[in-house]
Amino acid sequence: MVNSGKHVCTDIKTILAQKGLDSSGRSLPEHDGDNKHWLQQMEKTRPGDVERALSEPVGSYSFEKLVALVSPAAEDYLEQMAQLAHQLTIQRFGRTIRLYAPLYLSNYCTNSCRYCGFNREHKFERTRLTIDRALEEAQVIASEGFRDILLVSSEDRGFITIDYLAELAGKLRSRFSSISMEVYQMNSAEYAELFKAGIEGVTLYQETYDRRAYRYYHPAGPKSDYDDRLDAPDRTAAAGMRQIGLGVLLGLTDWRIETLALAEHAHYLIKRYWQSHVSFSFPRLRPAHEVKGSQFRYLLSDKNLVQMITALRLCFADAGLVLSTRECAPLRDRLVKLGITKMSAGSKTNPGGYSGRSGAIEQFEIDDNRSPAQVAAVIKQAGFEPVWKDWDSAFVGV
Amino acid sequence: MDKLIIADRSFNSRLLVGTGKFASCEIMAEAIARSGTEIVTVALRRVDIENENDDMLSAIDRSKYLLLPNTSGARDAQEAVRLSKLARAATGINWVKLEVTPDPYYLLPDPVETLKAAEILVKDNFVVLPYINADPILAKKLEDAGTATVMPLASPIGSNQGLKTRAALEIIIEQANIPVVVDAGLGLPSHAADAMEMGADAVLVNTAIATAADPLAMAEAFRLAVEAGRTAYISGPPATGRKASASSPLTGFLRDE
Amino acid sequence: MRSTPFAGVLFVLAKLRVETLKINGVQKQFPAGLPQTLTELLKQLDINEATVVAEIDGKIIEKQNFAQTQLSNGQVVELIRFAGGG
Repeated sequence: MVNSGKHVCTDIKTILAQKGLDSSGRSLPEHDGDNKHWLQQMEKTRPGDVERALSEPVGSYSFEKLVALVSPAAEDYLEQMAQLAHQLTIQRFGRTIRLYAPLYLSNYCTNSCRYCGFNREHKFERTRLTIDRALEEAQVIASEGFRDILLVSSEDRGFITIDYLAELAGKLRSRFSSISMEVYQMNSAEYAELFKAGIEGVTLYQETYDRRAYRYYHPAGPKSDYDDRLDAPDRTAAAGMRQIGLGVLLGLTDWRIETLALAEHAHYLIKRYWQSHVSFSFPRLRPAHEVKGSQFRYLLSDKNLVQMITALRLCFADAGLVLSTRECAPLRDRLVKLGITKMSAGSKTNPGGYSGRSGAIEQFEIDDNRSPAQVAAVIKQAGFEPVWKDWDSAFVGV
Repeated sequence: MDKLIIADRSFNSRLLVGTGKFASCEIMAEAIARSGTEIVTVALRRVDIENENDDMLSAIDRSKYLLLPNTSGARDAQEAVRLSKLARAATGINWVKLEVTPDPYYLLPDPVETLKAAEILVKDNFVVLPYINADPILAKKLEDAGTATVMPLASPIGSNQGLKTRAALEIIIEQANIPVVVDAGLGLPSHAADAMEMGADAVLVNTAIATAADPLAMAEAFRLAVEAGRTAYISGPPATGRKASASSPLTGFLRDE
Repeated sequence: MRSTPFAGVLFVLAKLRVETLKINGVQKQFPAGLPQTLTELLKQLDINEATVVAEIDGKIIEKQNFAQTQLSNGQVVELIRFAGGG
């Protein structure tokens, strides 16, 4: 039975505006439109507030609790947050880490997002994979042990069409037990069609919940529509998608505010679509082709990242926390014990990169270049079992 | 206390009261008044032809209380739907407490028949308040079907055992987008306060008030307990003691930043 | 003139034609004839019309129609009112 989501009266757009989390400045009287209100609130957070937040039932969400946990005052409680997050994650997920691999299908793009290596303004030789090339890549991925694959593409609707994705998913079904996608926004009918074709999860980052920043960073192309982007996870859930992946590109604006907005979005989706499972990812701005790191003044330290991950875990006991190979190996290894439940390994973010025949440009620099087998070994050393396959659609005769 | 909103109506009281098991209509009416309730449940029964004096409805001032007929006695969806329609014909309002209890010993509600009946009644424009066991999935399915609330039991009707289904109630309260009314088995005012502190939107009490030695005082006690519990819930809990951690095995590496 | 068997049969048939209604599960005879309407039945039973719901042969009768609802032999009547309940 598909989620009907009939009874939540308020949509996410209104929730964010009312809470003053989208810098539209529409609702709070003392709000001057650039999220200073929440930053000021967090500056005022005292140790007592953090302790109160930590004594609330672990894994339960309240906005006030998260404000305390992402505030500067909570930095002194990081070890405690980490311990609680570690214990809670083991309790809910076991001593396991799921592994997945991204399959980049194209880097042709009609958007011009300022932070991205695939920005249409950047001049480089673009690559798209035919279905057969994509299947070759998938074969390499499968031979590494993966059974969970994420199809990734830039805004290349002309070539990476719905039919293309449906055909590819159909052909991958026999080899992969879980197929998700991270591609451009679609409408409900398209999501429903791809769900039927075998794609069960959609990852779609809002990138930033701050409307003004969003406008700046996405000046052109279909992705420049903030509201359509914000609504897309609703559409995926209504179409039956079982996994919803949320995230912001950390470093575009203040991470503390973004975490609050991200949590409100997740909470809204969890309440409205009770049969879908929400995950968070943590893409942190990293150097990319033609995009200079020093342009961005909100970059997160490792400490900030740990605080964000543990704070979210303490508010969402059952959400997936996903880590990609953007992060360097030593940090990833530590984060395994801090609430992470899913990781990629041996990733190639350039289309055709797995079969080694492409000199195509990567979306971002990989900082963990270890092979999947090496990553699996490290996971085992940390006392966890790497899980390649979590479910098999063969169980339900699909 | 913040207002309770069910369907399109708002209420000041979060205590619903049942009218069964009282020694007399007069005591029942006075207990209802002392409880501060605004919603009162009643059952439907065949008129006793031999004894005219069994009309209790006149004791309830319908301008002050919303009459909420229940379908107690129904053993399947069909009977529950029939009773609901009779109730609507009698009162002229379309609110119904859906109760389908095939088991005469514990009076536990039948989940399958309850869901079936709820779907039929919602389509027929009833405002449905379904009585269920504390089953979180059933609660979501009823919500999807369009019921106005869910009413999970704390323990079997009349058992006065309190919140035996606490763990499941917590999940229901966390997941629900409609009001959660904890109904059945609340034996003491502290049980009611506990339910409200957990985040329940309201509670329904019958046996504990009706069969108390002093029902009027007990009704008053429940009124106070529900108010206290709700006020506590919206005021936020205090911090419970926590030991600080001396060493930092998980985050020590960050100090090198 | 001796009485004919035919007359005897007619006499017995006349006796059998006492009208009845099944009210709340119980057969009730009306030797003086059925009340014409539902309202009259309730008056006869001394039941307050205002607080009662009526069902005849499974169909709910709206209160405003009590006075116009004609009764006929053999109908199944349910008279229901509110009672205490949780």
